[in-house]
Amino acid sequence: MRDLRHLYYLENLLQENNNELVRKAREEGRRCVGTVCYQIPEVLLNLPGIFSVRLRAPRTGSMEMGTYYMTSLTCEYCRALLERGLEGGYRFIDCLMEPASCSQMADCTENLEKLDLLGPGFFVQHVDTPMKDDLNGIEHMIKMCRVRVLDRLHEAFGIDVSDEAIKKAVAVHNEVCDLITEIGNYRKDLRPRITGYEFAVLCLATYCCPKDLLLPILRETAQELRTREPDEKSPWRVRVAVAGAEIDDPDFIKLIEDTGAYVAVDRYCFGSFPGRSRIELSDNEDILTQICRKYVTECQCPRFMNTSKVAGRKEYIDSLAREYSCDGIILQQINFCNFWGYERAGGMHVLTHDYSWPVLSLDRPYVVGVSGQIRTRVQAFIERVELKKLGGND
Amino acid sequence: MKYFGGCDVGSTYTKAVILDENGKIVSHTTLHSKINPEKSARLAMDDVLSKAGLTSERDLAYLIGTGYGRNKVPFADENISEISCHAMGVHVTDPTVKAIIDIGGQDVKGIAVDTDGTVKNFAMNDKCAAGTGRFYEAMARSFEMSLEEFSNLSLSAKNVIPITAQCTVFAESEVISLVGEGKPMDEVAAGIQMSVAKRCFVMAKKAGATDSIALTGGCAKNAGLKKAIEQDLHLKVIELKTDPQLMGALGAAEYARRKGRK
Repeated sequence: MRDLRHLYYLENLLQENNNELVRKAREEGRRCVGTVCYQIPEVLLNLPGIFSVRLRAPRTGSMEMGTYYMTSLTCEYCRALLERGLEGGYRFIDCLMEPASCSQMADCTENLEKLDLLGPGFFVQHVDTPMKDDLNGIEHMIKMCRVRVLDRLHEAFGIDVSDEAIKKAVAVHNEVCDLITEIGNYRKDLRPRITGYEFAVLCLATYCCPKDLLLPILRETAQELRTREPDEKSPWRVRVAVAGAEIDDPDFIKLIEDTGAYVAVDRYCFGSFPGRSRIELSDNEDILTQICRKYVTECQCPRFMNTSKVAGRKEYIDSLAREYSCDGIILQQINFCNFWGYERAGGMHVLTHDYSWPVLSLDRPYVVGVSGQIRTRVQAFIERVELKKLGGND
Repeated sequence: MKYFGGCDVGSTYTKAVILDENGKIVSHTTLHSKINPEKSARLAMDDVLSKAGLTSERDLAYLIGTGYGRNKVPFADENISEISCHAMGVHVTDPTVKAIIDIGGQDVKGIAVDTDGTVKNFAMNDKCAAGTGRFYEAMARSFEMSLEEFSNLSLSAKNVIPITAQCTVFAESEVISLVGEGKPMDEVAAGIQMSVAKRCFVMAKKAGATDSIALTGGCAKNAGLKKAIEQDLHLKVIELKTDPQLMGALGAAEYARRKGRK
């Protein structure tokens, strides 16, 4: 296939948190809100006058400084963010909205704040998020979003947090989601016109750039894909779903595809399911209530511990893998991720035994692009799925 | 007669095997790996082809690369992971084997083998090289011995002095301290064997081993380790008829035979 016109630009853009589009939005006078998780509704962080950037630590090498403050027994994503903060990489953000979803991330953001690693006037706002998606949980979420997100942003930056302002943010969010959904749906084709890697780059950019500035690129890419011809012969031997903890490095997806498996669907933090689904609003109910209910009920984070959520997460992965004609599932987590550590162990068992999927369970470092051991594991998994036919012939 | 090749470019040794169309080993070789995996593959293939009376890899109907340098074998028709190849290599050598522990130069793998020689399940150590061939090299260096001398020394021990450190670097300094304190060297050596055997326990469990396993990779030739696994893990180590270090290359050649004759 011919290269996508904007792919190289986006790949370069994703090499930095403070990228060209972020700098442009700041030059326009908008405030930048750093965020670290799906759980605070993104639309509330993208009201007129502000925009969100989901923090990453691209090109991470050693994490010695972050490890000094957080110990070696903590999640490498959290440590990598602190390391990047210590390197001065987040001085462009004006505030950080941190959902209390994970104690390790709270440790990271507390260090970022206490060590004075961020810009002048900077503040961290902790937002308590629920652990159940029942009525109490939703009401708690609404209260938190009202008091600790909207009111706090209004006080700090004087921005408009009215229903009209939220509706404008939802409109932009929905256009992004529609385009990502249209592009992502091509992955259902058995001769797909987009690689899983290309999709991962596009989807990741929607979390890391001001959405309105990214939209022209997404629109052009969607247009380009409508007529893009897939390769005659698929270079992949099997199709997989990648699920689990956060992946903000498209090179991981590239590694899987270079090894022979097409990444047909993504169910991980920074991915498109459920992060890129439309918000449908009705005029019959408070807007914030509708948004909070959607985020609480759709969230796939293993921090949610009620029984229906625990079972629903496996069911969700199974249904996506079926819908996208997958042959297997890669269930992964970053080393020392508390929640996904439990979820991966249980998920591996349930998806293997109850849903009969071949599953590769991966406990991986934050940076995996050049890992020979991860490559070997992925390749062996692909062969396990594929070589059954060959092995049985002799 | 058609011939088929497997080339296993490992981190420490490069192995190659040529099979005839009946699956009989025609020739094999084991060489120290060079820093450049392409060069290692070239040297191993030149040697194994020469032993088989063949002139170039073009005389092979199909060739498969495996090992950490598997995608750097320029003349291979394709590459297959060493996990799949070790399973197949052991299966064609002894179809009764159901679980393998492969201890290579820089990693340890537990592999459950299905009835057709494919992989049923597998586990692999993390980035750390503790308990691998590199670990043994460092330990033997501390004793100023070859690996074979080190293995034989451990076999002569009447007692075992446990080694607590798992890290190669810390274990080396612990060993130097123990020897410096005048502890019997054979008992320290036996302690090292026991610590590696215990590391293999997790892999053996993940490979579904119940009463027996096969050892593959260069460390499979270490008689002291075999004894420690049998004593401490209560697992019978199945003797393979073919050099266990060749299992990856043999499995690759077997896959080449199955693919190339179609």
